[in-house]
Amino acid sequence: MSSLSKPWLHIRLPVLESFRSYLNAPVLPREKKYLASLPVLIAGALSFQLLSGLVLSLFYNPADAFNSIQFIDRSVNYGWLIHAFHETGATMMFGAVYLGLLRSLWLRNYKAPGELVWFLSLAKFLLLLLIGYLGYVLADGAVSFWSLANAIAGAFSLSGVPGGIGVWFFGGPDGAGTLPRLAVFHAVLAVAILGILLLHQAARRGMEPTVARGVGLHPYYTSQIFVAFVVYALIFAVLVFFAPHFGENPLNRGPANPLVLPVTVTAPWYLLPLSNAGHVFAGVWGSLFAVVARIALLAALPWLDRSAPGNPPGFLHKFLVFVLALDVILICIWAVQAPSFIGGILLAFFTAYFFFHFLVLLPLTTLLEAR
Amino acid sequence: MRRLIFAAFALACLAAPRAMAEDTLNPPHWQSEGIFGTYDKAALQRGFLVYQTVCAACHSANALHYRDLDGIGFSTEQIAALAAGVKLPTGPATLDDTFKNPYPDPQAAAAAFSGAVPPDLSTIAAARPKGTLYIFDLLTSYAAAPADLSLLPGHYYNTAFPGQQIAMPPPLKDGQVTYADGVNASATQEASDVAAFLTWAATPNLDSAKEIGLRAVLFLVFLAFIAIATKRKIWRETV
Amino acid sequence: MAETIGEIVQETEVLVRRDFLKILNVAAGAVAVGAIAWPFIDALNPTRDALAIAQPIVDVSAVAANTALRFVWMGTPIYIRKLTPKQIADNQFVVTSTLPDPASYSDRVNPGYESFVVVIGLNTGTPCELLGNDPADPRGPFDGWTCPCDGSIYDPLGRLRSGPASKNLAIPKFTFLNDAQIQFG
Repeated sequence: MSSLSKPWLHIRLPVLESFRSYLNAPVLPREKKYLASLPVLIAGALSFQLLSGLVLSLFYNPADAFNSIQFIDRSVNYGWLIHAFHETGATMMFGAVYLGLLRSLWLRNYKAPGELVWFLSLAKFLLLLLIGYLGYVLADGAVSFWSLANAIAGAFSLSGVPGGIGVWFFGGPDGAGTLPRLAVFHAVLAVAILGILLLHQAARRGMEPTVARGVGLHPYYTSQIFVAFVVYALIFAVLVFFAPHFGENPLNRGPANPLVLPVTVTAPWYLLPLSNAGHVFAGVWGSLFAVVARIALLAALPWLDRSAPGNPPGFLHKFLVFVLALDVILICIWAVQAPSFIGGILLAFFTAYFFFHFLVLLPLTTLLEAR
Repeated sequence: MRRLIFAAFALACLAAPRAMAEDTLNPPHWQSEGIFGTYDKAALQRGFLVYQTVCAACHSANALHYRDLDGIGFSTEQIAALAAGVKLPTGPATLDDTFKNPYPDPQAAAAAFSGAVPPDLSTIAAARPKGTLYIFDLLTSYAAAPADLSLLPGHYYNTAFPGQQIAMPPPLKDGQVTYADGVNASATQEASDVAAFLTWAATPNLDSAKEIGLRAVLFLVFLAFIAIATKRKIWRETV
Repeated sequence: MAETIGEIVQETEVLVRRDFLKILNVAAGAVAVGAIAWPFIDALNPTRDALAIAQPIVDVSAVAANTALRFVWMGTPIYIRKLTPKQIADNQFVVTSTLPDPASYSDRVNPGYESFVVVIGLNTGTPCELLGNDPADPRGPFDGWTCPCDGSIYDPLGRLRSGPASKNLAIPKFTFLNDAQIQFG
């Protein structure tokens, strides 16, 4: 597509030139794997969530949340489909996010000079979790009503700065004003996260090694990303049309009842790895610690990993990451079971292993491999 | 494996609609189960009749409007006539009214049932794990209480209900309704039909979802092949 | 000349073969985008609730003969009048050529529901709301409706009999669902 004179639009919008050179500059190496398309897929999934959320917000009424969602499902043309898009889109997006996190751990992408990319990933991860939790409570189902009530009660029982932040966020005890406020947060944060995505992408591009005889983003990696996208869309289609409530507690599809407490008040599946499953840590401070400690460990990874820079990960490191992933999955599975003696012991063991991996296993094995 | 048998059964039942009514009870299954299952409109209409006659006396279904009944196979005139027979506080019901709520407000319901308010049935089949089977089991599992169990006052013994003590009296009896299509209205048949109806009430768009989904998945498989072929072709040209 | 044409054809063939897959890719992608976009667009069309307001159902079983029910449909007054047998007899066989706006009895009522007349209650001359729903209202010499603004006179079927107006009363779009209910729209 080369012409001696610049196209009409490029003369009037010069930024298109730099965008086109970004797309076509032949500087990328040839061996990038399919999983490298994950951040782009996540960005696409987020855009899809924004679109479906926008349409839903036209009909959602936070003052009568459950009934407005029933209205969407039954009376809005294709409302049931847009609702399913939004719900399943969240599950798929978090699946991609966790896969991306796992990949970063596997390949040691957090090592210098990739720390900023890693921190931006974590910031994105946290914000997405918060947005997802807000979406969960906005549904005002039988379980999410109680999850919100517990969260607010917990926020009000904390003291000091964490308590202050919690109270500031919820703005008061669980009442008529809570859902409208959280609905606005849900939408605004979702748009704000686009900015973090852009920053993240810019930082990642900075990490790409430029190659003398490389290939351009377009059409080589756009075609690869398109394949990844079609596979993602295929899995998404199977879930949306045949299992739209995959991973959801079915009780949450009934209306909120302030007089009836469910046997287990579960969080959506993507919050389970960070949850205080099995109440391993005691009390509200314990639940806060469970979240903060895990994020702190992830953030400290560039320094917990003692391997030499540029050292490719060996078999031992990859094996340990695999075991860590299994550990997290097992925490999620046991977190939703009804409380039991053996369950409590298992959860304590799995949680302890999580901390053991980051604080002991990782530094030791990477030091060993560095030799 | 069981799901495969159910799906095959559902497919077979699509081909033999007349024989359906007798075969769905042993073991209990429904035409809407499985990837290719669609709602059996005849069963839904029978279930609606049971719902109107028996359940609507105590249970609300606030998310359902009478106009939604065209999804069961009723014509607009039939629904209008049906709704006109329902007496609301504001006069006879129209198509756009929600299903009649037997009690004007939750306090009246709580007073009438000593606190055990009958749950709204709009989403009950979706709000319980394996909801269709749960409803069927609940309606057919009333039994005499074992000798060592003392029932709470106003409660009945039901093996399918969590806790085994339910405040709802056994609602279904043989021959309580007369089905227009001549199917024998045994209590088990009524339970199966009302479970089918409540499943439809919770997820009325299930048939559309499966139909669109099949087309979408087939198209995406086709698109995947093309995308992979294009990517390989482009990459072959790099050398 | 022939060689250049042959060359052009060959080049086009090569181009189409090489790019056929890419074109197919893009086309299939566009189909997918369109298919996904449609539910989003359709979701903004009127919901079943809104359509219900747009297509209301009115109960006419309580309308007594010689009276009319007035209700407002999206801002327009609609009159549903029940005719007495005398009014039907007087108007059924009027020679249509004598009317300012010729219309026969069967043009004005639905088959099977001949005693009901459904009209938009606005004068077709100067747009004023008509009088004549209540038997005590001034109905004019034909026992129909009159316009208080310009004096136009209508018969019970809503046909113009005299006056500055030139057309019969408009009939809205409606269907009888059964003997008791009319759905508009």
